[in-house]
Amino acid sequence: MANLSVNLCGVTFKNPVIAASGTYGFEREFNELYDIGKIGGVSTKGLTNEPRLGNPVPRIAESRGVILNAVGLQNPGVEHFIQHDLEWLKSTGTVVIANVAGKTLEDYEKICARLNGLVDMIELNISCPNVKSGGMAFGIKPETVEEVTRVAKKGAKDTPLIVKLSPNVESIAENAKAAERGGADAVSLINTLTGMAIDIERRKPIIANNTGGVSGAGVKPIAVRMTYEAAQAVKIPVIGMGGITCAEDAIEFLMAGATAVQVGTANFTDPYAMPKIIDGLNAWCDKHNVANVSELTGVLQLNQR
Amino acid sequence: MKDYIGTIVKNEKIADNIHAVTFALNEDCKVRCGQFGNIAVGGTHLLRRPIAICKAEGREVTFCYQIKGEGTQKLRDMKAGEQCNVLMPLGNGFYVEEHEKKVALVGGGVGVFPLISVLREYAATKEIAAYIGYRNKGAVCGVEEFVKAQKFIAVTDDGSYGAQMNAVQAFAADLEKGNRPDVVLSCGPTPMLRALKSLIEKENIPCYVSLEERMGCGIGACLVCVCDMTDGKRARVCKDGPVFNAKDVTL
Repeated sequence: MANLSVNLCGVTFKNPVIAASGTYGFEREFNELYDIGKIGGVSTKGLTNEPRLGNPVPRIAESRGVILNAVGLQNPGVEHFIQHDLEWLKSTGTVVIANVAGKTLEDYEKICARLNGLVDMIELNISCPNVKSGGMAFGIKPETVEEVTRVAKKGAKDTPLIVKLSPNVESIAENAKAAERGGADAVSLINTLTGMAIDIERRKPIIANNTGGVSGAGVKPIAVRMTYEAAQAVKIPVIGMGGITCAEDAIEFLMAGATAVQVGTANFTDPYAMPKIIDGLNAWCDKHNVANVSELTGVLQLNQR
Repeated sequence: MKDYIGTIVKNEKIADNIHAVTFALNEDCKVRCGQFGNIAVGGTHLLRRPIAICKAEGREVTFCYQIKGEGTQKLRDMKAGEQCNVLMPLGNGFYVEEHEKKVALVGGGVGVFPLISVLREYAATKEIAAYIGYRNKGAVCGVEEFVKAQKFIAVTDDGSYGAQMNAVQAFAADLEKGNRPDVVLSCGPTPMLRALKSLIEKENIPCYVSLEERMGCGIGACLVCVCDMTDGKRARVCKDGPVFNAKDVTL
């Protein structure tokens, strides 16, 4: 039995596997399949100050090896989450990360302040590609990444703040550094890549929103590269994600510099993906005489060219 | 709800572009009529195929599906003995109340299959009339099941099998003759459900409709497959449905 626990900004995770926001709801559904207390942490469905209805349907499409989604941040609002889900979620024993989004800087500060001290960590969604205003707009340029992080951190003054980075940018390293300058305690990446899938019979995009966020196994090499670049650029911990389907995938991200990983789309393909990844990490570490999974973070050595 | 391993017992064409696959599950599974399974077809397909359960007998479960894209083509090409993971049973399913004795089933297209599961569950205890619409003669299927209903009226869009009309028109014609059910259960294309909803609202008959939408997780976590509710909210087709009281949903 390897020691799978990791420490992220002073928060102890029993293993480095975290459910990615938006694929795991508010966790009750997956808890019908297995005890979610086994999972290192969960990042909730994106929360906003007010309830949101989200985008029209269809909200999902497939392409080989990936999916596209444009849910548009449908959620019951942060107050509903605090009243109905938070206590139960904490009782499961998993690390609770509230994923939050806003339209304005004030929104971000307000929601972070509301959740400050109530959850284990807050993850800032500044890179949702599927909403018309805000969200993504903050996540593109280093200046706005830094600004929104600084404002959010004013709200999240006692709770570690993770800034989730968009891959749809000029330089992931510059944006990671901007988040660090703004006071982020960690960064997570990658959010989805903006894409389009077309129904050629109707000559229209499949998704009602026209474009959607691309995720799933096919994006993994891009995500690993970006995780490496971000980890090289900052001193704060990096949480890697993008297409992780099995333990070996997760290990790539750890080696690239991630302290922990998130798993999203794989939960749709196999609802037991996360428990299997955790078991697989343990088996791999045992086989390779790795006593602590945290030893794997950043061990990657580039080929000498 | 569990992720079962289903071994294909048979997988065959039952009508134009419609196939039926029967799995033997690795464990017992209790299914309610109108529920569905999320079938992993594998390969480069990351999403499963949510398909209505047509029959469930012991560990044998039959799903009928239309060949629509690469995923269902892949399922069609699978042979007896091959295995799929099947997450099931999902969704709420159809319920008929104790006091509802006369049940009308109104279905069209692939919507006929969940209604077969209703018929199988309630045939012994309820008086069932089935009004089933098909595109044409080649699309006709499930007749061997529907004939077990007290009344079975099959119609087609082109008149090549039964009268030339749709299922809602067939139901409305019978209603006009005074054959009024206590409850209507329906599944089919949205225009059909819309026509039915406006009819039963005029007639003030309780009606439950099973909806279809592109799904992600199938278990209520991802909020991909939502429908609009009349109270302005949105519900999850996979978890809050797929069966809704017709008066609660905007079609």
